[in-house]
Amino acid sequence: MSSSIKITTEFDFFSPLVSDEGWKSGTGKGISVAIIDSGIDTDHPDLAGKIKESVEAQNDGKRVHFVTSESGDSAGHGTACAGIISSIANDAELYSIKVLGAQASGDGQAFLAGLEYAIKRKFRIINLSLGTTKPQFFAPLHDLLDRAYQAGCIVVAAANNLPQPSFPSVFSSSLISVSKVDESDPFHFGFRYGEVIELTAPGVNVRTTWLSGGYRSLTGNSFACPHIVGIIALLLETYPMLTPFQVKSVLYAIARKNQKETDLEK
Amino acid sequence: MPDQEKRSLEEKLRTIIQTVDVANAMTEPLTESIKNLLYLSARSMKSEEASVIIRDGDEGDLRFLSAIGQVADQLVGMKIPSGKGIAGFVFSSGQPMAVADVGQEESFYAEVDKTTGYSTQTILATPLRHNGEIIGVLEYVNRIGEPPFEAFTPIEMDKAALFAEAIASLVNAYESAKIFRELGEKMLTKDEEVNFNEVREWLKNLRSTAEHREMIDLALLVKEISNRGESERALCREIMESILRCSDAKSDTSFLSY
Repeated sequence: MSSSIKITTEFDFFSPLVSDEGWKSGTGKGISVAIIDSGIDTDHPDLAGKIKESVEAQNDGKRVHFVTSESGDSAGHGTACAGIISSIANDAELYSIKVLGAQASGDGQAFLAGLEYAIKRKFRIINLSLGTTKPQFFAPLHDLLDRAYQAGCIVVAAANNLPQPSFPSVFSSSLISVSKVDESDPFHFGFRYGEVIELTAPGVNVRTTWLSGGYRSLTGNSFACPHIVGIIALLLETYPMLTPFQVKSVLYAIARKNQKETDLEK
Repeated sequence: MPDQEKRSLEEKLRTIIQTVDVANAMTEPLTESIKNLLYLSARSMKSEEASVIIRDGDEGDLRFLSAIGQVADQLVGMKIPSGKGIAGFVFSSGQPMAVADVGQEESFYAEVDKTTGYSTQTILATPLRHNGEIIGVLEYVNRIGEPPFEAFTPIEMDKAALFAEAIASLVNAYESAKIFRELGEKMLTKDEEVNFNEVREWLKNLRSTAEHREMIDLALLVKEISNRGESERALCREIMESILRCSDAKSDTSFLSY
């Protein structure tokens, strides 16, 4: 249930931008997207040439460093996310930051270091199809997400599939969080104003790239998140000066328009 | 029968009975609870066929620990080779999966159906995670009633993930109990003092996860040190406490894909 103030005004601040649909024909060219995940299979025919850099976490006992990765994807999850982003923003520059190992799980220090690395490199969009429920990560993640916001990095995070709060997806102002809906059109995403997880995007039976040049139909919030990342890459290509705050507002405006169209069709 | 031989036979029988009791007491309540949860959850998933498949060794092989439904008895104990089938995919990738029609799914492992004679048509499989680590797979097969069966929905996938949380805790407890049960059997059947090297040798050959083996190995080591004397015990405690302090600052597997 939403506990926010009910918005009654029909005034739409972004209507001039929303009525321009030119951005939808973009390809995300020149937009850097970091995928912090299990690595990416750079040999996949659909992804060939799109992965600009692959790094992986290496812990020397004191600190986590990022070194060039030759190990590809150890779980398939990162490759699946990359496939979804490039299916929407075909020319986006993808950067793989590997922090998850086999079975798509990983250690907290590596994840924090990976996010910090992505912020330092100032990647325009950061895809986080992962999270944690452990409260000890609340503070360090909150700090990093604020730093991302101040640096102009747009962080998009998947919500937990279980009904438990997870970090960073429950943070509100400093990132965009996404949960799945059964929908096939990536442009037809939704915005649930006042909910903890605001954005909804296709995440049910999403056909995407998988290990060994293969494909899989996958379901989960993990796969809704890269849909929104792809959409943001298109928006940034047309409107490169958008700040993280503005991007969220634009997404809200477009989603409202989507909703109005759906209501009219009914 | 001479008196001495009779006594020795009695002694042996008593030991065997003791061992069997310990074995049942440790793991049976857990397997029973897992089965009860399968019944309860399957009803809520509008299915009658469900199973819990757990890791078998460290190479990614799986085996059916518990099952309900028409061929439950045949399934329990059956193995699935590493990476095979929908269960193998879910186990290695950590991704839940719902397949509307397994006839259209190339990764479906038909061997299990061939052996049991059952016909799987639609399936939902979700990982069993404990402390971030995947320890098995929970599956629901077909629906109550007659085919064609309705596919499992995304809402049911989320529901199954919740059931998997509860079942995973029980499976983890079962795995630990099973190892301690086997260790107990080993200790109980021995008349003479425990030979640590022999137990360690058994541990090495144990087909279970490295994590559990290491856990018992460590327990044995501490027990061995404790037997040496008071100063060794104090030193051991000091060292272990400082390790704890040091690792509190670090974290374990905490981040999962969604």
